[in-house]
Amino acid sequence: MPTHEIGLQVENLCVSYQGVPAVRGVDLEVKAGEAIGLIGPNGAGKSSTLLGIMGATARTGTVRINGIDVAGLPPEKVVRQGVALVPEGRHIFSELSVLNNLKLGLVGRREKTGIPEAFAEVFTLFPILEEFQGRKAGLLSGGQQQQLAIARSLMANPDIILLDEPSLGLSPTAVDTVFEALDVVRKAGKAVLIVEQRAEFTIAFSDKTFVLHDGLITLTLGPSDANNVDVLTEAYFG
Amino acid sequence: MNQFIQSLVDAISGGAILGLAALSIGLVFGVIRLANFAQGEIITAAAYTLIFTWQLGWFISIPLSIVVAVALSLLMEFTVFSRMRTATPATLLIASFGLSFLLQRVYEMLFTNTVQTAPVGSALAQSIDVGGVRIQMLSVVTIILAGSLLYGLTLFLAKSSLGLQLQAAAADFQTARLIGISASRVIGLSFALSGVLAAAVAFVSTVQTGAVGPSFGVPIVILALVGAVIGGIDKLSGALAGGFLVGFATSMLASWLPQDFSNFRDAYVFGLVILVLLFRPSGLLIRGRGVART
Ligand SMILES: Nc1ncnc2c1ncn2[C@@H]1O[C@H](COP(=O)(O)OP(=O)(O)O)[C@@H](O)[C@H]1O
Ligand SMILES: [Mg+2]
Repeated sequence: MPTHEIGLQVENLCVSYQGVPAVRGVDLEVKAGEAIGLIGPNGAGKSSTLLGIMGATARTGTVRINGIDVAGLPPEKVVRQGVALVPEGRHIFSELSVLNNLKLGLVGRREKTGIPEAFAEVFTLFPILEEFQGRKAGLLSGGQQQQLAIARSLMANPDIILLDEPSLGLSPTAVDTVFEALDVVRKAGKAVLIVEQRAEFTIAFSDKTFVLHDGLITLTLGPSDANNVDVLTEAYFG
Repeated sequence: MNQFIQSLVDAISGGAILGLAALSIGLVFGVIRLANFAQGEIITAAAYTLIFTWQLGWFISIPLSIVVAVALSLLMEFTVFSRMRTATPATLLIASFGLSFLLQRVYEMLFTNTVQTAPVGSALAQSIDVGGVRIQMLSVVTIILAGSLLYGLTLFLAKSSLGLQLQAAAADFQTARLIGISASRVIGLSFALSGVLAAAVAFVSTVQTGAVGPSFGVPIVILALVGAVIGGIDKLSGALAGGFLVGFATSMLASWLPQDFSNFRDAYVFGLVILVLLFRPSGLLIRGRGVART
């Protein structure tokens, strides 16, 4: 019996590359209006977890999007169940205009109504994108490209949004802009899963943060652990 | 002077046709990293269609040749290349060589080794007088045809949702799928568009020669591939420009080299290509090197 609750449920997710395991049985759940953090050192399997959820890499285990098991679906079908990924390194289409990048985000949209409103919403969230909508996306700064990558994913009106290291390579002010926007997105009732290397920042922002180590979740932290050096050291070196 | 303008117009038309052929290869290459040598046999199939159905009238024969080219292009994708999604570009190229030879043998069995002839587009085989200069009608038509196709394709790619999806898939296949773009749909679309361009190339080449044999498309596709490689096959504008350059150069060499040398014009073109590959292995026009599809 599928539950019809909005959100993401992952049970015993495993991903391996040519027989070498990268994710070794991850369980997590993200509910509507909630932000969950997933931190851990380089190579821990964070990106593989997100790609596994999207069906972009071979995986075993159960992934339920809004209660529906997406086993065996290719990424283009998983998207249409209501989940969007903002990939590591942004991966905007740099030769295309900002506006065309946003239009491409519409491809994964389930309903074909509300499109003008969708543009209005992302332009309110990220005014710079409206100003630069005719510009080639590759000409934007790193922070602006990250805003575009998030905006592109929002055009699909997902219930669940997965972000892979959104702060990577950004200036402190650009990071603030991104996380302020993610707070708006969370408060709008979407389920947000953030993969990050910046532990303190993520723990403070998220309702709950999991620490991933060698493909396994080894710790669960709350916002109050953000300043706890012992916990953080344990998370990364334990 | 007149003779120079004549040969210039012919060369532009020769460039336009090879530009289209190179573009038809580049369209597919951009999406699945296949440099399809069997594109030549798609051109041949469309050319045979024109020869065998021309007496029904151009308004039947031309659309039919487009249908045949698109259908064969899609058939190649569904029966051969769709089964090779994880293959490297080199493996794909070799598979397309095999397919090319296979289809040439099939054409030989069906239509024999002798060329088939029909007065396809004979109305275009005349010269017109433009301000005292005699210009071949076919060259003018070729330039207009190529220009319109390019304009239409550019508009389609830039303005339609499917066109944008094709561009996105060519730029970053994995990300395209992650945002919901259907892989099979954009791949099918690239093969279909490539078939339409092949039909246009077939039409002009068939009018030029009036005769079609089993290996009709081979020299065209060789020169188009050469052009695409020179210009940079992973960018549509690069493939187009490279194809144009090669077509333009071969045509100019043909009209300006003494007759004895003309026969060797392809050797000269290949000589140029080897120089380019030695000194600018990533193509003349692109800055970086594209990454292989994984
Ligand atoms: N495409 C791939 N092929 C082979 N191994 C991979 C691939 N992607 C990731 N890995 C390996 O899987 C492990 C987890 O990688 P990843 O999920 O990218 O970690 P993280 O995002 O936490 O840095 C690493 O050991 C990495 O080398
Ligand atoms: Mg990663």
